[in-house]
Amino acid sequence: MSVKIRFFARFRELLGTDVLATPAPGMTLSGLVKDVAGENKEGYDAIFDEQGAFREFVILMRNTKRVDTADAEKILVTDGDEVAVFPPVAGG
Amino acid sequence: MIAIQKEDVDIGNLINDAKQRGMGAIVLFDGIVRDDDICEMELESYEEVALRELEQIASDAKAKFGLLSVDIIHRIGRLAIGENILIIIVGAGHRKEAYEGSRYIIETIKAGVPIWKKELRKDGDRWVPGEHPHGCGMGKN
Repeated sequence: MSVKIRFFARFRELLGTDVLATPAPGMTLSGLVKDVAGENKEGYDAIFDEQGAFREFVILMRNTKRVDTADAEKILVTDGDEVAVFPPVAGG
Repeated sequence: MIAIQKEDVDIGNLINDAKQRGMGAIVLFDGIVRDDDICEMELESYEEVALRELEQIASDAKAKFGLLSVDIIHRIGRLAIGENILIIIVGAGHRKEAYEGSRYIIETIKAGVPIWKKELRKDGDRWVPGEHPHGCGMGKN
């Protein structure tokens, strides 16, 4: 299984962008982001709190649709998914 | 025209192109890089999503306020002080709808469209914090 994780803004600076991952079957969205973000402690700490939960302000998308971070532990990733992780937006 | 692009646009041409029979008012919003003691501004977007959401906002604004035309151009990349960041041109039958439609569009963009700004400063760079920390402005679409 192959998926792509896209980080933006500060998260991109810490973790890179368009990161390809090959998670095992049964991997959750939350687990996937933890695994990839775990490559860089500062990046991980920017996204997850001390209990390993998504920080309140983190925004998550799966295949360009917003996902509640609270649901990310229940959603399984599937082959070809594109997952995006980013901080609050500041356009305009 | 709905676009996310590096290049600037000719606002005068856009206004001329927007004019049509039955239109009595055009409101222009031009967000520019303010001199907050910065060197430059750098913008990035999740382009596929941001463009889709700008198109949705334009469509919603037309329906909600009875607008006759909407143009939204959001720029990305490095911009100098005084450069255009976001241009919104709204045309309507009367000024009330045009002003209200323009305000709706800018506030909805700021609430949820995935675009970020970074101030490039002599004393270090700084990501501009969002005004909507939960990022819920656009719902889950």
